[in-house]
Amino acid sequence: MAGSPGQVPEPDGLWQGPMRSETPNSLKGATVVDTDAFTALRNRAQTVVLDVAPADERPASMPKDMPWMPLHRSIPGAVWLPGAGSGSADPAFEAAFKTEMERLTAHDRDQPIVAFCHPQCWGSWNAAKRLVNLGYRHVYWYPEGFEGWQNQHDTLVIEEEPGWETTIHAARQE
Amino acid sequence: MMEGGLIGTGLCACASLLMIGISLPAHADDSSDPAREARWIEIEKTIFGSRTATPDETIVSLDASERAEDAALVPIAIKLNVKAPVKGLYVVVDDNPAPIAAHYIFGPAAYPEAIKMRGRVNSYTNMHAVAELQDGTLVEAVRFVKASGGCSAPMGMSDEEAMQGIGDIRLKLAENTVPGKPAEATLMVRHPNFNGMQMDQDTHGYTPARYIQTIRVTDGDALVFTLSGDISLASNPVIGFGLIPQPAGQLTVMVDDSEKAHWERSFALPTATN
Repeated sequence: MAGSPGQVPEPDGLWQGPMRSETPNSLKGATVVDTDAFTALRNRAQTVVLDVAPADERPASMPKDMPWMPLHRSIPGAVWLPGAGSGSADPAFEAAFKTEMERLTAHDRDQPIVAFCHPQCWGSWNAAKRLVNLGYRHVYWYPEGFEGWQNQHDTLVIEEEPGWETTIHAARQE
Repeated sequence: MMEGGLIGTGLCACASLLMIGISLPAHADDSSDPAREARWIEIEKTIFGSRTATPDETIVSLDASERAEDAALVPIAIKLNVKAPVKGLYVVVDDNPAPIAAHYIFGPAAYPEAIKMRGRVNSYTNMHAVAELQDGTLVEAVRFVKASGGCSAPMGMSDEEAMQGIGDIRLKLAENTVPGKPAEATLMVRHPNFNGMQMDQDTHGYTPARYIQTIRVTDGDALVFTLSGDISLASNPVIGFGLIPQPAGQLTVMVDDSEKAHWERSFALPTATN
């Protein structure tokens, strides 16, 4: 099911299988970038760099006095929307994602957007796929993700994009 | 003789796949990065309140391999000065969400000269070893570790397989021990230590966290050490440790996990015949 490197076919729609497994090498309608190409792309002022890596969750059984201090390291300049790579077909989730991306791109479907999370992480594939489906014309997918970047460049601790949690929470309530 | 005295555990609490940075171009992202220092100050305050740790290599030193073949098993070596009144040891992985990977409290039967462990490291991070002395003084050593992704790496087997033999406790001891003369031992506990961030390869869901919370080792009535862990302990931890064998001693190992399961096993100390 998980497939081998280089042999994973693109699903027709969004991926709803295990989020951490081998991914395809391609994404129809989007451009796959390696670290060098990503770096060049990132240096363009207009590019939205989208981090969809999930947030760490505290195990319920962890003792209360055990310090829990999650921190999210990312690529400098990235916007972090944890969970935005979900393959959910829930219309409320789709609407929340669409609204957030329109806000980040000021409704400009020509604005370049590059999605990433980690290696072998379907979240960024899904997010890029969703962007293509929403009509964005310059969508990029950076499958090497945070680890690929970290091997060559400095990282930065960033916070979740303000409002995203509220948006996504509201979507789930509907 | 305690050169090889080990206390080994794995550490981790994170969420990404296996990747290791080995040949790295130089960049500023190292232990002296101001943001990383700020993170440590925050952790220090959370764990120790107003007390702060001072580096002193004559008491504690830390070595962590940057050339680990496997980010889930980054070798870490801690050396403690046994002449210093060391009460306990914290092993902290700064960037982990649960930064305290291990907290050891040593008892009168401990001989904690060299501690070795293998840790899982998620992103490039500072790692701290903090020795707490009897008077509460804190002494630290720090190391920047460039390995990443060892945290949500699947165990390479189904959860069912990973659960097999849970609670099995084994101990390797030096062939002969002499009461009062430091000896080394290696403890192996079978436990998947699911950190809640690994994905079941069969069901595709996240495996709920289930992990060892304490390991207590005594020799007769004397404590060797208590180890408190959390989701940071690796699967099937291997814990090497030094001890001072007690006269007519018997090692007892007690393991408790987050599901309130308890395992216990005793081992006779093999004594020298002459």
